[in-house]
Amino acid sequence: MLDPNELTVHTLTLRQLGSAEQLAEINALPIADVEAALEKAVADGAVMAARGNYMITPAGREFLDDVYLRAFAGLRADPAVTDAMDSFETGVNKQVLTLTTDWQTIEVDGARVSNDHADADYDARIVEKLGRVHEKTQKVLQPLAQQNPLVDRFLDRIGAALIRAEGGETDYVSGVRVDSVHTVWFQMHEHILRLTGRERPE
Amino acid sequence: MSTATGLRWLVVPDENAAEPSRDLVGGKAWSLWRMRSLGLRVPPAFVVTTAACAAYFADGGLPEGLADELITGIRLLEKQLGRTFGGTERPLLVSVRSGAAISMPGMMDTILDLGCNDDVEAALAAESGDRDFAAEVHRRFTGFYGRLVLGCTEELEDLPDTASVRAAISSDVGDAVPADPWEQLRAAVAAVFASSRSRRALAYRKHYGIPDDLGTAVTVQAMVFGNLDDDSGTGVLFTRNPVDGSREPYGEYLQRGQGEDVVSGRVTPKPLTDLEERWPAVHAELLDAAEQLDREGRDAQDVEFTVQSGELFLLQSRPAKRTARAAVRIAVELVDEGVLEPGEALSRVTAEQIRTLLRPEIAPGAADTAEVLVTGVAASPGVATGVVVDTPEAAQANPGSILVRKSTSPDDVHGMIAAAAVVTEQGGATSHAAVVSRALDTPCVVGCGTDTVASLVGRTVTVDATTGRVYAGELPTSAVDESEDEDLRRLTEWASSATPLRVGPDVAAEPVFDADSLAAEEIGEHIPDIPPGTKTVCGAVFCAPDGVRAALDAGVEAVVTTHRLPVLLAAIAHQRSTS
Repeated sequence: MLDPNELTVHTLTLRQLGSAEQLAEINALPIADVEAALEKAVADGAVMAARGNYMITPAGREFLDDVYLRAFAGLRADPAVTDAMDSFETGVNKQVLTLTTDWQTIEVDGARVSNDHADADYDARIVEKLGRVHEKTQKVLQPLAQQNPLVDRFLDRIGAALIRAEGGETDYVSGVRVDSVHTVWFQMHEHILRLTGRERPE
Repeated sequence: MSTATGLRWLVVPDENAAEPSRDLVGGKAWSLWRMRSLGLRVPPAFVVTTAACAAYFADGGLPEGLADELITGIRLLEKQLGRTFGGTERPLLVSVRSGAAISMPGMMDTILDLGCNDDVEAALAAESGDRDFAAEVHRRFTGFYGRLVLGCTEELEDLPDTASVRAAISSDVGDAVPADPWEQLRAAVAAVFASSRSRRALAYRKHYGIPDDLGTAVTVQAMVFGNLDDDSGTGVLFTRNPVDGSREPYGEYLQRGQGEDVVSGRVTPKPLTDLEERWPAVHAELLDAAEQLDREGRDAQDVEFTVQSGELFLLQSRPAKRTARAAVRIAVELVDEGVLEPGEALSRVTAEQIRTLLRPEIAPGAADTAEVLVTGVAASPGVATGVVVDTPEAAQANPGSILVRKSTSPDDVHGMIAAAAVVTEQGGATSHAAVVSRALDTPCVVGCGTDTVASLVGRTVTVDATTGRVYAGELPTSAVDESEDEDLRRLTEWASSATPLRVGPDVAAEPVFDADSLAAEEIGEHIPDIPPGTKTVCGAVFCAPDGVRAALDAGVEAVVTTHRLPVLLAAIAHQRSTS
């Protein structure tokens, strides 16, 4: 388990350049704790501050590498976690990426062009499939979620993005500037890669 | 032939019926009625109403009398098609769909081919002379039923045959698909009702303040088959050309083809002229129907149809997919045809589509002699020239540079926002770099191979993300201008009179906020804060739709940009959604 200081520095690897409020949204700490952690991390040289936004430094990354070894040794040795990650990478993660691409581009006469979102049925089918993958992911990541409560928070935030997408807020599938399904999915992916000490397979 | 009188829980949406209430039958059944009332032939159907759904929740089960009425409804379909539900000769299969008056995500989607079992599969094989087809129908139905009625969460779609689907369902939920078609039907109707109160459906309604007691109707419709004999087939017709938007029906037909065959690309269909030669009368009926649907829909339609033993059935009509070029042509053409007012035509074209059309391309011939440094997969189209940097921090410090990475992660997003183009060594069309670049409308080439970063860093390159090539040096580009294209010129004229926002290269009124002048560390993943009282904004971020929305919300009166139409369209779309 990470203490609030470690968790806050770790959160800056999931979202580069964030305010205390934005980081608290990701890591679920009270905002006062995040602010205190940031202040300490800046003093230690692990984090840089720029006009209310924060960024991790190379020293901060080295600090985390040591923290992970200590905090997640048990989790990394758990074969159920390894199986869950293998299943995640080859199954639901690939499905989400493919569905996101289907969401952004449609096929017109054999060529892929950007989706103008004029076909509500097409969009609804993709969001529906994303919903099913989301439900499946909750099962797949169960072994991690049992040892790291933040995993469930990511899944809840993905669920919230799905609801907004279902309501016609099309930015909430793959938009970069909002907490879209894809944005939060990638934060979660980065989080569990760091937890388990694995490399991103591409 | 409406025998709907005397039915308590069903409505038969045929051409003789009065217009049914959407609240009672749902949007899909209403559309079926609409098509029937236009004289178009759709596969026969009946609807179990939302009143039955309310009774289902009140009684804790299917209401009394519904089971008998389902038999009555099926008998109507049997009579019209000369087929028998569960029959061992000419069997009738049906689809079962949910449908509410307003769209409600989270509800059960469609079960196809209901009514199938081992005997029906054999009958279907004998009738079509195609055992594989019959086996596939059974396999797919078993999967639909397992997932949607029995709640199996395993992936069933990729399993090879009915036996393996049955085994997967049994091991996941300990239950089996009933062989009795009537039991299948009753359970499917109950499952649709229950799905209107699924966890996701409830969460959606709570978020949007929609009452929980609306419930859903259930549409039961006969399946028709395009592969029964040589006089059968299936196809798709676009009422206008989806590539250039010209007003010419365009489509494909596959004799002895069934449903997915055409869509999946598994078999190569023939052009519509094939149907014209075989069945001139059916072809003429189809074109006539297409014309009516284009008028009725007030937009280009994509019409799916099946010919079953020489009889045309329209399966679905919806707004057609189209390229950006076609979207522009169709919108302007519909105004000229008197179908749309200019204001409405503007809602048929998106800012993103215009951005696509205005994207610069490498000048003709310029690439012929240029040195290709690396090639990869074109993931997000466009062209950009700049100096290659290899970290997101450097991209942020040098706006307009080309960010080249092994692969990208959330760490790189702020650099990708600042970069003019993104290139990666690893990954394909669905990688993080590809998805984020498309969302940002930034040119992106992925999967260029190892050592790309080392070989490019520090060089000036031109990225052609339409072909997936990276060239040495700066290549000349050519760009389309709104004023040079008649359709774009007219859309721009209509758009500028549809919004008070002033948009153009020389519209600035003080005070001006220029996003491009911000320091690197102030550019994050979000739209920069616009200082209160700002009258004019400039910078690339405010030319994209989310930037335009932020500017309007901040009370900005003018946006400085060379390309007016995308900004105008984004502003009009935002006005529409907030008014």
